[in-house]
Amino acid sequence: MIDIARHALDKAKNAGADKVSCSVQQTRKDEFNVEANKFSLLRTLFDDELNLKVIIGGRKGTISINKLDMASVEAAVDECMAMAASATPDEAEDIAPLVENKKFSRNIGGADMEKLFARTQEFIQHVKDAYPQVSVDMQAVFISEKSVYLNSNGVEFHDEGECYYIQPMFGAKEGEASSSFNFYGAMVTDLDTPFMDWGMLRTLIEDAPKSIKTRMVDDKYVGKIIMTPACDDMVWYTLLWNFLDASSLISGTSRWKDALDTQVADKKLTMRAVPLHPDIVSAERYTDDGFESKDFDFIKDGVLKSFALPLYAANKTGKPRAENTAFYNLEIEAGDVSLADMIKSVDKGILVNRFSGASPGPSGDISGVAKNSFLIENGKITDAISETMISFNIVDILQNIPAISKERCKNGSSILPWFCFDGVTVSGK
Amino acid sequence: MLQNLLSPYKGSFKDYTELRAQVNTNQRVVLVAGNMVSNSQETEGGVSARVYRGGTFGFASGATYTPEGVKNVLSAATDNAIFMDSHAKKGQPPLPSAAPGNQGLVIQPRPAVQQSILIDFAKAVDALIVEKYKNLSSRTVVSNSLDIEKLLVISDGADSHFYQPRSMVYVMMTADTPDGIPVEMYVPLGGFGHFDELFMSPAQYEAEIDALYESLMKKREGVFTKAGYTQCVLGPKMAGMLAHEAIGHTVEADAVISGSVASYNLNKQVASELVTMIDIANTYQGRTIGLPVYVDDEGVIAEDAMLIDKGILTGYMHNRDSARELGMKPQGNARAFTFSDEPLIRMRNTAILPGTSKLEDMIASVEDGYYLVDTGNGQADQTGEFMFSVEEGYEIKNGKLGKAIRETTVSGVAFEMLKTVDMVADDMYWTVSGFCGKKQPMTCGMGGPALRCMINVGGK
Repeated sequence: MIDIARHALDKAKNAGADKVSCSVQQTRKDEFNVEANKFSLLRTLFDDELNLKVIIGGRKGTISINKLDMASVEAAVDECMAMAASATPDEAEDIAPLVENKKFSRNIGGADMEKLFARTQEFIQHVKDAYPQVSVDMQAVFISEKSVYLNSNGVEFHDEGECYYIQPMFGAKEGEASSSFNFYGAMVTDLDTPFMDWGMLRTLIEDAPKSIKTRMVDDKYVGKIIMTPACDDMVWYTLLWNFLDASSLISGTSRWKDALDTQVADKKLTMRAVPLHPDIVSAERYTDDGFESKDFDFIKDGVLKSFALPLYAANKTGKPRAENTAFYNLEIEAGDVSLADMIKSVDKGILVNRFSGASPGPSGDISGVAKNSFLIENGKITDAISETMISFNIVDILQNIPAISKERCKNGSSILPWFCFDGVTVSGK
Repeated sequence: MLQNLLSPYKGSFKDYTELRAQVNTNQRVVLVAGNMVSNSQETEGGVSARVYRGGTFGFASGATYTPEGVKNVLSAATDNAIFMDSHAKKGQPPLPSAAPGNQGLVIQPRPAVQQSILIDFAKAVDALIVEKYKNLSSRTVVSNSLDIEKLLVISDGADSHFYQPRSMVYVMMTADTPDGIPVEMYVPLGGFGHFDELFMSPAQYEAEIDALYESLMKKREGVFTKAGYTQCVLGPKMAGMLAHEAIGHTVEADAVISGSVASYNLNKQVASELVTMIDIANTYQGRTIGLPVYVDDEGVIAEDAMLIDKGILTGYMHNRDSARELGMKPQGNARAFTFSDEPLIRMRNTAILPGTSKLEDMIASVEDGYYLVDTGNGQADQTGEFMFSVEEGYEIKNGKLGKAIRETTVSGVAFEMLKTVDMVADDMYWTVSGFCGKKQPMTCGMGGPALRCMINVGGK
């Protein structure tokens, strides 16, 4: 791989590129598929990928191919040079400087497909026995990736990693009544634990049969909701897409564009991007623009400490570059209230397990349907609900967060607590 | 163009076997506030094999499309099929046969267009926006070309050579409300065809871009919707999303087998008799529409799937396995997005068919409600409960359009909401701009007329 990357890099430089970066990756993925509680497919993927970026006089071109033979690589370099020549020059285009070259490895000894099959079979059998109303579609996957990154400043990273992950989607049915479907994802580095004990999966599967019979909220009110870790990432991703990311900062539409080092949220909120955290599985070790990844704080004690800006966007906006681009590997600091006490504190509200909503815009207004969710009445979880909409403005609800749970859920890609939010409009049919 | 390296292996197939070579070429240019934040091209190609044995499949794919590469994936897929058959022990009969055939190319593949064509068009649209439209706080222009070419050789059914170019330009504008809150709207332009044929000059699309700007200027003065169950006129763009998300996904046979609301409503009244809905393979009223499919990735010759006929649920969409399980006929809905994806049950061009009402009469008939014009995204559930965003809409007061509304969402339960449809417009709108997500992305078309109905509107 290193020879291919170096050949592409040298060819681009010799052809007149000022700055070049090239990464080459090889992937193998093995995946069991289950449909309606029955095995349906075993899928094996072998793939290669070469990503090349060239900058000529501030003009950038990027190309990606999945062929590593010399003729394909050379054609890709020529095409990428032509693309750059047509681009608009921009002084903000750059690549990382050389700091320290490194090799990373998170291998786990290869796939144990017999054990992965057995764990999948055990999970499906357990669901069939314990929750006969529940039907599961899922993928159980082993993935192995190797990559190398070079740039014309002399940066060189090697990385290899392996992991298992599952993506079950499930719902319950009884006669002509059915629950909403729900889904979950979790990653691990070994198969020592049954799938049911991965992250929130057991709770969500248990909730499915309880959600067959539902009640509608028959009024409209403004009040509290509790968002579970299976759902509250929606809030954080909304922040990323609309207030913190490159597009919202370059376009100037972010409502937080001038808010760095100011209080944007309740003091209870501390949110970090943590690809190096020991509970985060097989995450980024270097960024696409050639920096070694480090953990960083987005928000600390309610104060905005960093945007989600890669190198180009940082140069373009004059704001600091984020220390990694694994923005979805979030850790949110635990609060000081137990989940049980949090629920007890809500007289009338909703426990939201899934949110089906519109892609939020830059205003921060969010509205959608509370799915796989339950009423909280007088401090207790009661009935499952349907056809209930919730709406709120994300900037507003972050100002005053009544409670964050002591408990947190780890699913291999994030570490999140339960949140109680106030000022949410809840409306039934 | 893909060379046929697959046919020589056809004689060696022992079980039901698909061999598919495929190349997807995706070009993309993004200008944010005039800054070229992306200028990229991605080519992803290779070969895959899928083998059926006793009720399960083995699948393998590789990026190397050579005789050796074909042999390797065929061997790996067969090994996987043997593993699954011996471990899962389902003991199912063979898949149903499909009519033999050989569907050649309907249009000839071309090399990717020069990236400079995408760049120049995006820059020209951006310059037009800067020159012509004031009061914008930002704008984004995206040029995109996605070409998909597939070559399919199958043990039982129709071999095919397929090519689908889709070219889009997305224009997004942002403006601030009087109290400084940003609101945005976008319009997708283009569709089936090559980029340089669809986008010759921004002037071709100036009317649509003008309309986007005018709508945004109204939206920045917009009001929040009043939450509740309300009579609305859904514009034709909303109806297309309704057809796809709220109904289409529940009548995909894999969802039916998993227990969707459609599983116990076959041959029952699920909608007003004004509602007829079809998943169209390639041709409507004698014209090629949307993103046409002629043979699916299981070698089944594509034909229209009637889903709702005058309010009665009459059918589902199938692959061969679900058709076998439910005793129905596959009609060409098994499709894969990239060479390394297995075919899944997917919609092609799903539409509610037009009725006889006039849109202006429908609006005039609403005393207090909303005219919901356009949507950004939607999601649905196996219960039929759906949610769509509303990106553009207006109040209706005493039969007249009132103020624009800010972003909101609407929701309902499809088979209940469809029973409230009491007017269907005689117009029809098609779009192919989005991607459907279901394990893999997929291009597809959707269409519909305006509908008057009762629906749950989110808001304050």
